[in-house]
Amino acid sequence: MKIENTKAQMRKGVLEYCILTILNNGDAYTSEILVQLKEAKMIVVEGTIYPLLTRLKNVGLLNYRWEESTSGPPRKYYALTESGKLFLKGLESTWNDLVAAVNLLTQNKNTKS
Amino acid sequence: MNKTININLGGLFFHIDEMAFQKLKRYLDTIRRSLSDDPKGRDEIISDIELRISELLSEKIKDPRQVVGEADIDEVIAIMGQPEDYVFEDETYADYTRPGSSYSTYNSKKLFRDGDDKFLGGVAAGIAHYFGIESIWVRLAWLVLAFGLGFGFLLYIILWILLPEAKTTAEKLQMEGEAVNISTIEKKIRDEFQDVSERAKRGFDEVSGKVKDSLEGASEKVKEGLKDAKTRVKQDQIKSGLQEFIDVIGKIIATLFSIVGKFVGIILIIVALSTLVGLTVGLFTAGTLDIFGFDWFWLEDANFINTVGLPVWGVSLAVLLLVGIPFLMLFFLGMFILSSRSKTPGRVTWYVLLGLWLITIIALIVFGAKQTANFAFEGYNIENQNINITQVDTLRINMVDNQDFANATYLHNWRNSYKRVLTDDNKNKLYSNDVRLDIRLSDTDSSFVKIRKEAEGINRIVAQENAKKIDYQFNLTDATLNFNGYFLTDFGTKFRDQVLDVSLYIPVGKIIYIDNSTRSFLRHVENTTDIYDGDMPAHYYKMTLKGLDCLDCYSD
Repeated sequence: MKIENTKAQMRKGVLEYCILTILNNGDAYTSEILVQLKEAKMIVVEGTIYPLLTRLKNVGLLNYRWEESTSGPPRKYYALTESGKLFLKGLESTWNDLVAAVNLLTQNKNTKS
Repeated sequence: MNKTININLGGLFFHIDEMAFQKLKRYLDTIRRSLSDDPKGRDEIISDIELRISELLSEKIKDPRQVVGEADIDEVIAIMGQPEDYVFEDETYADYTRPGSSYSTYNSKKLFRDGDDKFLGGVAAGIAHYFGIESIWVRLAWLVLAFGLGFGFLLYIILWILLPEAKTTAEKLQMEGEAVNISTIEKKIRDEFQDVSERAKRGFDEVSGKVKDSLEGASEKVKEGLKDAKTRVKQDQIKSGLQEFIDVIGKIIATLFSIVGKFVGIILIIVALSTLVGLTVGLFTAGTLDIFGFDWFWLEDANFINTVGLPVWGVSLAVLLLVGIPFLMLFFLGMFILSSRSKTPGRVTWYVLLGLWLITIIALIVFGAKQTANFAFEGYNIENQNINITQVDTLRINMVDNQDFANATYLHNWRNSYKRVLTDDNKNKLYSNDVRLDIRLSDTDSSFVKIRKEAEGINRIVAQENAKKIDYQFNLTDATLNFNGYFLTDFGTKFRDQVLDVSLYIPVGKIIYIDNSTRSFLRHVENTTDIYDGDMPAHYYKMTLKGLDCLDCYSD
């Protein structure tokens, strides 16, 4: 097992949660989402995002609209749907549980060693 | 210097370098194929990606006249990530996108038709991929089914209709049983792309060469004026049209030739294969029977002709090699014609086969020479046996056969009819009925039988020995002289062209009756009325100085 694979898996697991969170703060077009994710060092390359966004849209968590741009091609603005908001709430609690669990485990380990 | 291409990427217009374009196209194609299990979402994802690339490029290229180069594409790819990065691990999504059917990464082969390696519909190639064998074997199996059992054609057509052709990369990989993942897909695409681009490049080189030539030609003629040039252009157009036409005709002819060639190949394969199978089965049953010591009658028969002592399996092997090797070569030739990609044996194998063949020929020549040497010299053995027939009024001459040996319903002299028989004391003997009977005038008053035995051998002495070994009997009972209609030789002596001449010498005035049983044994019996040998039996004769004189023949 390669460490890179595991890292990528972990990152990809929470990527969905991150995207939904970004969109919960306000509608954004693809590049904006990308910029935020890159700043947070959630992603290294952009490729992963496109299939993910399309899938999230196709299962009804997101919808989008086109907006003209002055500097480049038209932009695809994504927004959370109602079911997306519900989904995000579910993810939030799961995430908090996970963080608590991981913290607990790593702290235990630290105290032991 | 490179050509540039104008493209529309995400609604924006770009000048792009040819090499950069190819790189970008390949990149997008790879991604497209890696997403092939979701055809609906794929187009959308690709257009999103194109949009983003267009955005990235537009940030770089401010001046619309600026050309997008390879370096720009490399940078974009570095930002966007390698095709692997586009595949979101499906485990979490498979649940609610398509339950139970995530795209398979394990090697499960599927049966497709292979459009890239097809002879008719690619069915055989598909089956070959499925079983992991060379397609040529499947095609041969089809031939056997089609010609041998008849339903092959029908089955083929049904499969042709039923089997889908492997069109997408994922399907092709599934057909070949390779894991469908990004790296294999990318490799496949790269292979295909290289193939195409190489062909394109070759074509381009050709075209540019032609263009250059015609440009040079044209520049020389510029002086001849615009009008002239115009007509030239027209001529060129006509010429190129004609060339195209000729090209098409040429292609049609080439296709016809290849079809005829393939047909010839099929026939070659069928002929060669059936010959080889027949030879092998026939000769090796003979050969192995000999090896395992089966005492087959006909084998022993063969052995007495085989005078050198070469075992039967040796002869079988020699014949197999002598006839088989050329047919094997024909077989491979047929295979080669049928599919130039089929595996033909290497150079070394050819040399070995050729060497074996030559050795066989030499061996057979030596064997043949030895065989003939055994027949090089003739030898005789003559013995006279007096018989007392002075008291006999009319001598009856019979030919008798040994009923144990002869299967024929009536006694007959078959020239060169030899066979192996088993005598009462359980010995193998060589039986022959090549006996010739003559009746002659005795110089004296006494009667005698002269037995002349003849045989051949490697030299005169051996030949004489062989002749002596001939065992021949006759007997006189009362007024009947019984000649054996056959003679025997020890089996070990083998066939040496043994012949036996029996001559009965009787004095003048002796009356004889020639029995019907002698009919086919008589040879040039002198008689006063020139009766043909075959007509002589069943008559009474009187010996005269001029030969036998028929007493009851009616010349009518």
